[in-house]
Amino acid sequence: MKKFTSDVVIGLEAHAELQTKTKLFCSCPTKGSEEPNTRTCSICLGHPGSKPSVNKKAIEYGIKLCLALGCKIQPEIIFSRKSYFYPDMSKNFQISQYEVPLGKDGKLKLKDGKEIGITRAHLEEDPASLIHPKGMKDSAYVLVDYNRSGNPLVEIVTEPDMESPEEARDFMKQLITVLGYLEIFDVNNGIIKADANISLKEAGYTKVEVKNITGFKEIERALFYEVDRQKKDISEGKEIVQETRAWDSEKGITFSLRKKETEEDYGYIVEPDLTKIEVSKGWIDEAKKEMPELAQDKVNKFVSKHKINRIDAEVLSAEKDLAELFEKVAEKVNPILAAKWLRRELVRVLNYNKKTLKEIKLDEKQIIDLLSLIEDKKITETTGQKLMEKLIEKPFDVKEYVKKEGLSAVSSKKELEKFCKEAVQENPKAIEEYKDGKEKALNFIVGSVMKKTKGKASPKEVNEIIKNMII
Amino acid sequence: MNTKEFIKKVKNKEIDIVEHTEEVIEKARNINKRYHLFNIISDDSAIEQAKTLKKEIKKNNIKNKSLLGVPISVKDCVCVNGVESRAGSKILNGYKPVFDATVIKKIKEQGGIIIGKTAQDEFGFGTFSVNVGVDFKIPLNPLDKERSCGGSSGGAAGISQIADFPHIAIGESTGGSIVAPASFCGVFGLCPTYGRVSRYGLIDYANSMDKIGTLGKTIEDNALLLKSISGHDDNDSTSINSESDEYSSYLKKGIKNIKIGIINESFGEGVEKEVTEKVMGGINKLEENGAKTEKVSLPLTSKYGVQAYYLIAVSETSTNLAKLCGMRYGRHEELTGNFNEYFTKVRSKNFGEEAKRRIILGTFTRMAGYRDAYYMKAMKVRTKIIEEYKKAFKKFDLLVSPTMPFIAPKFSEIEKLSPLQNYMADIMTVGPNLAGLPHLNVPVGLSKKMPVGMLLIGNHLEEGKLMQVGNIFNQ
Repeated sequence: MKKFTSDVVIGLEAHAELQTKTKLFCSCPTKGSEEPNTRTCSICLGHPGSKPSVNKKAIEYGIKLCLALGCKIQPEIIFSRKSYFYPDMSKNFQISQYEVPLGKDGKLKLKDGKEIGITRAHLEEDPASLIHPKGMKDSAYVLVDYNRSGNPLVEIVTEPDMESPEEARDFMKQLITVLGYLEIFDVNNGIIKADANISLKEAGYTKVEVKNITGFKEIERALFYEVDRQKKDISEGKEIVQETRAWDSEKGITFSLRKKETEEDYGYIVEPDLTKIEVSKGWIDEAKKEMPELAQDKVNKFVSKHKINRIDAEVLSAEKDLAELFEKVAEKVNPILAAKWLRRELVRVLNYNKKTLKEIKLDEKQIIDLLSLIEDKKITETTGQKLMEKLIEKPFDVKEYVKKEGLSAVSSKKELEKFCKEAVQENPKAIEEYKDGKEKALNFIVGSVMKKTKGKASPKEVNEIIKNMII
Repeated sequence: MNTKEFIKKVKNKEIDIVEHTEEVIEKARNINKRYHLFNIISDDSAIEQAKTLKKEIKKNNIKNKSLLGVPISVKDCVCVNGVESRAGSKILNGYKPVFDATVIKKIKEQGGIIIGKTAQDEFGFGTFSVNVGVDFKIPLNPLDKERSCGGSSGGAAGISQIADFPHIAIGESTGGSIVAPASFCGVFGLCPTYGRVSRYGLIDYANSMDKIGTLGKTIEDNALLLKSISGHDDNDSTSINSESDEYSSYLKKGIKNIKIGIINESFGEGVEKEVTEKVMGGINKLEENGAKTEKVSLPLTSKYGVQAYYLIAVSETSTNLAKLCGMRYGRHEELTGNFNEYFTKVRSKNFGEEAKRRIILGTFTRMAGYRDAYYMKAMKVRTKIIEEYKKAFKKFDLLVSPTMPFIAPKFSEIEKLSPLQNYMADIMTVGPNLAGLPHLNVPVGLSKKMPVGMLLIGNHLEEGKLMQVGNIFNQ
């Protein structure tokens, strides 16, 4: 038993959906038709007589995660039956791992370098989803959809090493990043859930479990709520009891499910329909060959090799596709410029269009072309932004387009001065106002020049020229 | 007419397979009126199968059809597509599987005709087929209606005994459920090595011990059907990746110099005198045919076999039966209360007494605090028992004992047995079942006009040797 000293102690049990094509114990697809109960068979419905067969791909994904978390991988794994009655369980037991999990004793680093211990990582099947037509409390019945039943999940259990809701959030974020890098989890649509154990010093480290928290932002919210709740109760002289609570995300509260916590008894037995599965060295070596460089390594590399700042490096590394794009682009254009443009403009435009890098068919050549033009001041930043927006809609040859549309920046000062002169002459009223101290009036004249140049001038430069002209 | 001759006649179109199947169904129905050996006679699908087969025969499309037209009965716990498969339990009333068990698929492919689902103890929970599900009839021994068929494959053994038509039965054994009824009904019953036959489509009792096997009037029938259903199956991870032998080739081999170990502990107290005598007579016959016999002791198996078997069996079965709750298939009740209350109602009303007993026992043996003392320890004992057998098989080809310590008991006698005495009846059979060893019941004579069975136990994958030796008693 660890001796706790911090004000808050948090441990997590995270469950992430592995993105295999088929389910963990049958060949039903994990994705596809959303119509309830269409992606099912006698195995994932638990029909008498049916038997599970292990999807080796899920184990391979599990091995990769264990490698990334530095877990000791067990040479032989077994599955077990975890028994409890619930309508979302097709067999009223869940095939999970108990005695021998796939991996043990790993760690995951938070953003600030703090290491969180991983107790174990194991595979299990997802239950069905329950639909409460009138909300959880007011429905007279539930509907069960077995489409999800049997999807592969990986459960990651941490040591109670986190000391704040922020750390718990960061842990989940780092975990999602690792899962995404390994390409075993769908970062955009995959479901990641967690149960959190939280203990406060003020409460004498009485353990409270908060169940059913979805996503990393919710973790922080739920745990902040729980810390406040416990502190408030203590200040009112109430005792904090060991219990299991649920997180209601809509109401933003936790509520008690079970008090007087006796350890739930799942009556584990070895799953007798499956044999021991040998996780051979050869299998692990195969997985090692496919292991990508992980986000935290990339951050360090970006900072030391490309000399970009750490925050930019972290943002770029959080998503594998973005990080890889950056690496390719940084070979050809100034990395600091590349970092700025990818991190700000590209991400902004993607978010605006609700798209991911994967979904658009952008390759590094188009970005390199675009950023080279900006770097060489051949186009203005405004033009660059517009081109970026266009590229996300549909990729094209940037250089060609700039030439064809005549978007090259007006870079000759002489030409620019000509436009400025015209603008000053055409707008005497604005000049008067500016001279009277109305700074804003100048913008009007700059805008007029921009119009004349069709946006191909740098507003900053125009601004300076005009100021010099009218003084 | 034996099965081989029958198949030949079907092939030569001397027998019209549709007419024959109709006759068999009619006969089975009449037998069933007297002895309750079937839970369901699948007349429609059997005749449908026969009609399809007739077309195939017409087209001479009968390659690989080694069971051409042979009527096959199937223990109720094995799933047959579209035929109510209940494992003898009311809670599965109305459950018509949407798939064939792998063995059924193989039988159909090879031209065997499924005539019905045979009676059994509910989920296999018994030795006498008296623990039938709520509203089910107890199968009666065709040799004496006052007596038990044995269990749990009671209906399979009974129909094998009384059928006057070509027929082989699919049975299932977890702790002795093939050889026990075979012994009481006086037929050959073969339980193969664990994993030899796919369990896909078997309604589980205790998965780590369940084995689908065969029962029939002759060794040849058993050899034929076992050959048809054996082999690796991707749908059953525990099935063995090993070619099955051509069993019939063993039948001509003779048994000269086969080394047979007589299990010392199985001839003592609790075994009827006449049973011992008949089995010793059987052993003499083996010696006369050239086998070498010697006594062997299996102290661990004799002392802890029954305990370890029941602990593992109830632990596994209590999880298997959890899914039966009146929600997706099988028997439903009026929807009232919350899901817990509803599940409880369905299970209280529709499980028989023995099923409830085993669920309660099995839930207890898995509970935190008891798990290590019961379930985990039993698993360790099982490993020790396997080692004990393996040691014996270094010296012997086969081991021999009586199959059951007594002849088929009268129902009035069974009523007086306590649950523990009931469980102890399995003392001879649980060992090979725990260890996954193939074993065979051989009828060796009569006591009080009822058959006595001798149990032959072989090493893993050595079903061939069992048939080689068992065949001495085929005449």
